[in-house]
Amino acid sequence: MLRYFAIRLFRAVITIAMVVTFAFVVLRMSGDPAILIMGPEVPPEALEAFRKSWGLDQPIWVQYINYFGAILRGDLGMSMRDNRPALDMVLERIPATLALTIPALALKLAIGVPAGVWAALHQGTGFDRAVMVTAVFGFAIPSFILALVLVLIFAVTLGWLPSGGQGGVEHMILPVITMGIGGAAALARFTRSAMLEVLGRPYIRTASAKGLPWASVVRGHALPNAAIPTVTLIGFLVGSLIAGAVVVESVFSWPGVGRMLVVAVGSRDLAVVQVILLLVAATMVTSNLIVDFLYGVLDPRLRQGARAA
Amino acid sequence: MMADIPTRLPLRFLGRPGFTLPRLPWYVWAAFLWISLVLIVAIFAPLIAPHPYTGMKLTNRFLPPFTNWTHPLGTDELGRDVLSRLIVSVRISLLIAFGATVISAVLGTTLGFLAAHFRGWVEQVVLTLADFQAAMPFLILALSVLAFFGNSLPLLIGLMGLYGWERYARVARGLAISANTQGYATAVTQLGAEPQRIYLRHILPNIASTLIVSMTLVFPEVILVESGLSFLGLGVQPPMTSLGNMVGYGRDYITRAPWIMLSPAIVIVLTTLAVSMLGDWLRDRLDPTLG
Amino acid sequence: MTEPLLTLDVVARAYVGRQGLFGRIITVRAVDGVSLTLARGETLGIVGESGSGKSTLGRMALGMETPDEGRVTAFGDAMPALGTPAWRALRRRMQMVFQDPLGALDRRLPVLDQVAEPLIIHGIGDAKGRQDVAMATLQAVGLSSEQALRYPHALSGGQRQRVVIARALITDPDLLVCDEPVSALDVSIQAQVVNLLIDMQAARGLAMLFISHDLRVVRQIASRVAVMYLGRIVEVGRAEDVLRSPRHPYTRALVSAAPAPGRNRADRMILTGEPPNPAARPTGCAFHPRCPLVTDRCRVDAPVLSPVAAAHSAACHLLSSVAKAA
Repeated sequence: MLRYFAIRLFRAVITIAMVVTFAFVVLRMSGDPAILIMGPEVPPEALEAFRKSWGLDQPIWVQYINYFGAILRGDLGMSMRDNRPALDMVLERIPATLALTIPALALKLAIGVPAGVWAALHQGTGFDRAVMVTAVFGFAIPSFILALVLVLIFAVTLGWLPSGGQGGVEHMILPVITMGIGGAAALARFTRSAMLEVLGRPYIRTASAKGLPWASVVRGHALPNAAIPTVTLIGFLVGSLIAGAVVVESVFSWPGVGRMLVVAVGSRDLAVVQVILLLVAATMVTSNLIVDFLYGVLDPRLRQGARAA
Repeated sequence: MMADIPTRLPLRFLGRPGFTLPRLPWYVWAAFLWISLVLIVAIFAPLIAPHPYTGMKLTNRFLPPFTNWTHPLGTDELGRDVLSRLIVSVRISLLIAFGATVISAVLGTTLGFLAAHFRGWVEQVVLTLADFQAAMPFLILALSVLAFFGNSLPLLIGLMGLYGWERYARVARGLAISANTQGYATAVTQLGAEPQRIYLRHILPNIASTLIVSMTLVFPEVILVESGLSFLGLGVQPPMTSLGNMVGYGRDYITRAPWIMLSPAIVIVLTTLAVSMLGDWLRDRLDPTLG
Repeated sequence: MTEPLLTLDVVARAYVGRQGLFGRIITVRAVDGVSLTLARGETLGIVGESGSGKSTLGRMALGMETPDEGRVTAFGDAMPALGTPAWRALRRRMQMVFQDPLGALDRRLPVLDQVAEPLIIHGIGDAKGRQDVAMATLQAVGLSSEQALRYPHALSGGQRQRVVIARALITDPDLLVCDEPVSALDVSIQAQVVNLLIDMQAARGLAMLFISHDLRVVRQIASRVAVMYLGRIVEVGRAEDVLRSPRHPYTRALVSAAPAPGRNRADRMILTGEPPNPAARPTGCAFHPRCPLVTDRCRVDAPVLSPVAAAHSAACHLLSSVAKAA
């Protein structure tokens, strides 16, 4: 068990290191940082002095190690636009993003999982078909289109809700619904097929042939087994909380991390982009670790196998 | 009790591989027709478009659709013909999606074959990269690259060409390893064939159907990611236009002229819907093992 | 010609595996110090149960696996490393027939194209000529020109094995390694394929390494026989000597287990005990846990191959008593 987690932890660290490397490579490939920061019309002596003071005259691998060291110390650079520490700017925006994404995640789970389980248990019925059709549409409709259609209906035509901006709860309804619906459709479809897969296995048939009531077969055998793949998808959804907010925050002018990323990309504010990149990687990796841990709890085979080793 | 146990939909078994063409479900026909229409429009866009897509006429601003024969889908904020812009957008969006899908399939399959052939550290590197690609949300990676490098159509196609490569790599590696350890690949090796011949002439045709199914599953996602990027103003740049780009700019006029944004939105949804339905159907028919 | 076509010189091959995902590492010695020679035009049968290392031996003879110890010499030169251009060029002269013909064929190509493929690989002839040669070879192994255009799945098991044989023979090789070539076929078909191999061997002067667990088949085709047990040769000699008057208790057990005309069932010798497991090789003579004649010496001391008659060797401490019992 311990060894299993040690390996996962090692892989998580490798992933983060790869993201840092990715940022370093992309940053260096995109041009001379001295010119990028000082501007092209600065005299060469000034550029030289700048390079010296930032260590840019050193060999590339020394720069790479310095870069890594700076990130480990939490020094993630200054925003070129606002001239403030990029990390602080991003951290300030996190609560706004979570205010949208956490209710949206709750909505996804509250609709997606029960709908998937119910559809699987009543396969072939009208409800099942409705879930499947909704799921297919949910995949095909990108969130920005869904968002605009909702705005068109509830803000423009009916005038019930604001079309964007930050304010009371009414400002959150449309963004949360937009994020929730697409995710719920995918989750319902996935849960349904995980459940069907489990229901088709011999031990379910054995359990029900033994005369166990169907409800307790479902509760005792089918649900725990179908939970294993579903937990992976939920982990992915948690990990992409920030990434999923990019488009929706932009449509609704919501001042969160996602919108900040779009603005930073547009103005090439590299330090901010880099912080958000690391933040997304860190959430993703952390949620994967939690999923791995839950796996260990949910799947006794894994526990056994790990102990045997 | 047994009657309570749901059985698999018989629909899945309709299309077992056989020599007679099975009767296609209606939605597959509809998907097929829509894709054909979109392809014809994309290929012949300059011939079909009734007006130049950049042609402005400020006296004709905000004409609503279905009111005017010269502008059947209306005009936008600069008096440009929405139908003509839509036709050109379909062409650009499909060009990017096709280009990206082909790049990603070739890249992924090549890396998968390299991993299967060399095993050892090459395989470890490919698998680690694939894990990394699968774990990081693609939109975030794409946005970072665009932030650092700025934007151009070739860069956008190349960038989108990184979308989904890890899926082809995993499929190609798995199938090539199983072909290598037993059967025809060993036999052809023993005949004295060079690795290129074994992989291209024997293994590739044998796994082509699985790869094609993977392509039809990745393709709609590429359309969605590209249109999302363009919608955010970070993908295709004006004066060039794409479906996502049209929605993005049309959004500013959602109150006054919702048709500017709605017609490309409908095309995006119908196209991804059609390709993914066709992909699902193909997968059920050819390779139910794919996720 | 005095020089042998193929020489295996004390070759050994071990596989390293793990027990379980993170289990301890175990080494399995599949082939453990085997020496063999094969003369031009000769058919050598390799007999043994599964796990005896006979397939690994066949793959090393072809250079498809590199021995950990020892040397393989083919046509007077050391076997080139696997995958090198020299190794690939040598394939023209040494070919293989596989156990599972359907697996060995590409199901996406008509069999004619597959039979012509070695000619393309080795740059023999032109496109038109290759097709003609492939067709002629397919007809020589008994397939019709109509069957030549079919895909593998549209042929029967025996026909597929004929295709594999045609593909192996089309470059006119000097050596053919057959690894259980008939064990996947119906019994009624087996004799036809074996007869085809015998005919081809006679017509082309092939040397053949014929690997099988089935003594009846080996008896039909082989001029010399080597018996393997847990990676070592326990008895080798001319086929009639080894099969008629076996010296090693294991060979005796194999021979008596195989049905043969004119032999009394009463003197059958039945093997007892666990089947051989290469991962847990017994000490001393590997056969001792199952040997009816086991002595204390057998448990600690491994016997070596020593001559028992002209061109006939066996590895057993009790050769005199075995001879007496026979």
